[in-house]
Amino acid sequence: MVNPVLLIVVPLALAFAVPLFGLISKKIVKFLPVVALLFNLIVSVMLLPKVMEQPIHVFIGGFSPPFCINLVAGPIGILFSVLIALVGLLVSVYALGYIKEGAIEKYHILYLLLITGATGVVLTGDIFNLFVFFEILCISSYSLVAYLGNKAGIESAVKYLLQGALGSSLILLGIGLLYAKYGTLNMADLAGNIHSIKSFSNFLPLVLLVTGLGVEAAIFPLNAWLPDAHSSAPSSISAILSGIAIEVGLYAVVRVVFTIFGASSFLVFLLFLGVLTLLIGEMSAFSQNNIKRMFAYSSIGQIGLILFALSIATPDGVSAGFFQLISHTLAKALLFLAVGYMIYRTGSMDISSLEGMGKKMPYTSLAFTIGVLSLVGMPPFIGFPSKLMIIRAALLKQETLFTVLVVLVLIATVIEGAYFFRVIQAIYFRGEKSEKKREGAPLSALIPLFIFVGLIVVIGVYPKLVTNFLDSTASELLNRLDYIKGVIG
Amino acid sequence: MNFLSQYIYYIGAFGLFFIGLYIMLTKKNLIKVIIGLDILDTGVFLFLIAIGYTSGGTAPIFSKSVTETGKMVDPVPQALVLTGIVIGVSVLALALALAIRLYGHYGTLNLRKIKEQRW
Amino acid sequence: MRRIIAIALLAIIVMGISLAVREIPFGKTDTKVGEYYLNEGREETGAANIVTSVVVNYRGFDTLGEIAVLFTAAIGLGAVFGSRKKRKVAEEVEKSSLIVYTGCRFLFPVILLVGAYIFIYGHLTPGGGFQGGAVVASAFLLMYLTCRGKRVRDKSNKVVESLGGLIFVGMGLVGLVIGKGFLFNFLPKGEFLTLFSAGIIPIIYIAIGFKVGAELAGVLDNLIEESK
Repeated sequence: MVNPVLLIVVPLALAFAVPLFGLISKKIVKFLPVVALLFNLIVSVMLLPKVMEQPIHVFIGGFSPPFCINLVAGPIGILFSVLIALVGLLVSVYALGYIKEGAIEKYHILYLLLITGATGVVLTGDIFNLFVFFEILCISSYSLVAYLGNKAGIESAVKYLLQGALGSSLILLGIGLLYAKYGTLNMADLAGNIHSIKSFSNFLPLVLLVTGLGVEAAIFPLNAWLPDAHSSAPSSISAILSGIAIEVGLYAVVRVVFTIFGASSFLVFLLFLGVLTLLIGEMSAFSQNNIKRMFAYSSIGQIGLILFALSIATPDGVSAGFFQLISHTLAKALLFLAVGYMIYRTGSMDISSLEGMGKKMPYTSLAFTIGVLSLVGMPPFIGFPSKLMIIRAALLKQETLFTVLVVLVLIATVIEGAYFFRVIQAIYFRGEKSEKKREGAPLSALIPLFIFVGLIVVIGVYPKLVTNFLDSTASELLNRLDYIKGVIG
Repeated sequence: MNFLSQYIYYIGAFGLFFIGLYIMLTKKNLIKVIIGLDILDTGVFLFLIAIGYTSGGTAPIFSKSVTETGKMVDPVPQALVLTGIVIGVSVLALALALAIRLYGHYGTLNLRKIKEQRW
Repeated sequence: MRRIIAIALLAIIVMGISLAVREIPFGKTDTKVGEYYLNEGREETGAANIVTSVVVNYRGFDTLGEIAVLFTAAIGLGAVFGSRKKRKVAEEVEKSSLIVYTGCRFLFPVILLVGAYIFIYGHLTPGGGFQGGAVVASAFLLMYLTCRGKRVRDKSNKVVESLGGLIFVGMGLVGLVIGKGFLFNFLPKGEFLTLFSAGIIPIIYIAIGFKVGAELAGVLDNLIEESK
């Protein structure tokens, strides 16, 4: 059996080794992320069926918890790990041809570290370890946002860094308060000791942790950095940030709220926060003229929707939330990758400059359109079953509150459809008629794009492929006692 | 008086924390904001060290003369602070690097004047 | 206006935190994990410095993440500066006075020695890889300030950085293959309170010392060169 710790260690070791490889040959450096992520993808897919029955617990250093750091490779962890490896692999293939300027070697190191951080966060079972991996994720994101070194990139990186660093300090403070009260850092052990959040010394760490992690998860009102950072990073990085980084942040928030604190009374608050984030994200996206900013705001909206679904806290709701998370990751990564080469060709991020793209770059535009349709929730793409599941889960609660919130969610979807329609219209139906020469994206970009398209269509037609796995993720998140027993025994 | 002696380290730690937070919220100059961030971090580290303290405790290091565990402070917060400091240094270095580049682009470090992207 | 909002916000947080901190007594610790490390750490890891045994062995995975964070920052710094067009300006370097120059050349190996001592004896005395590495880097800072014009050699710096990290990971993987898990302390514990004790702890701390020293020296190099 493969040890899940390799999912973290192999990308990290390769990241350390990149400078050595760079001394041998500059050309092989860019293939290292592909190798690492291929390994991660194969290992995670192999582990997936096993962990669905029984989570794998790894004790680092051979001590027993809570005295060591443990990894919990449960359904959620491995599902995320598959998603990270899959999206990471496709984006790294795309980056082979896309990243041509700047310190290329350093880009690939940072990329590997970002993947390491993200995988570490989803697998670890120790709150402080989570913080450390979270920092790897954040610091590599700050540097990658500034990678192009232009005015916008540096400025957004500064903003991102200041807000992120403040958030990190809050997380550390929250961890300190938890350690002071319970004398342990193991998440399962903490969960076993925390019975309610009524006591203020439990409530404050919860608030600090949710606030700190919420900065990375882009929950309103902590998301001021996101539109700038996602729009001024290189497009391959925007895809990873939108597709992986904020989802991992959301995972951390959800893990803290559900597993460590078991805070069911806190969920109503998150429910409203989710809908608020959704509405604000979609409404801001509506008024954008910059295509990448529009996608960035749309990511905020989608994060709100996922948070809403997860906070319903029924098995249906949680599965629907994770389904929507997968669907958003695939679609948004596809969109950023597709738009990357369009911007590369036109040199501008204005929506008006995309006019006539349908003829100039037909394949990229096709992939782009499918991504947009899926994000809006059109059948037969993956966005349709996932949104349907959320609405069904919310209505099954049979409370007036949820009905009202569902109406708001539907309004947000309509707004989303409206602004995306504007982009589609620009691509296909506007622009001068004069036939310019076709100049598509290179093959190293089209292959990942069409793998994403394939996944979106196939899962959209057979949602069972994914939903089978989602039930056990929901039960892992909702059955706190099983999680505690699994680790502490 | 008893209150002070009991909570003096916490007061110090959170005092630093609030000074740092106040600087971050109100100052315009990026370098000052980064300094505020560092002060805030220091406050958090002091708090972490303070929670591990045992009255009259010594460093958790054995030697030929010290072989009893009786009066040793908790080693875990010290390990956490070590990690925390390294992370703080990393963020600080990156922030300063970005500040240098930002100055190169704009010729100023005043955050109210740097508004290419909407805040 | 901004200040008033800031103060109001702070006042709310002060209230919150003071309510929570009241329940944490100062000067009394009976934490489960800490007690266990104090009582069992000697036997289980063989290190006299319990903080070291926690940092490198019990919570070694954190430390691996920690050096990854530092590595990320060092590389990120390089990436942030790397996209800038390099200006080649032959600078007039003003030489420092003979006394300063000679004094620093004399101090340089001594500081390196102190740094090396701190990380080699990290499992017996206060200190360790990060502290020792920082001291080593300070020697390079001294050289930058006095012997202007000299730079850290980029290639060897990179090699040290990489090898330091790879040795740490490699030790962990050996533990995974022949022992009970990643970072398992598979070497003999040796005699307590001697240099050759505590199994893999000194090896890892030496690797960390070199890595941190190289990284911080690289960070200083970058910051000094780019801010000219």
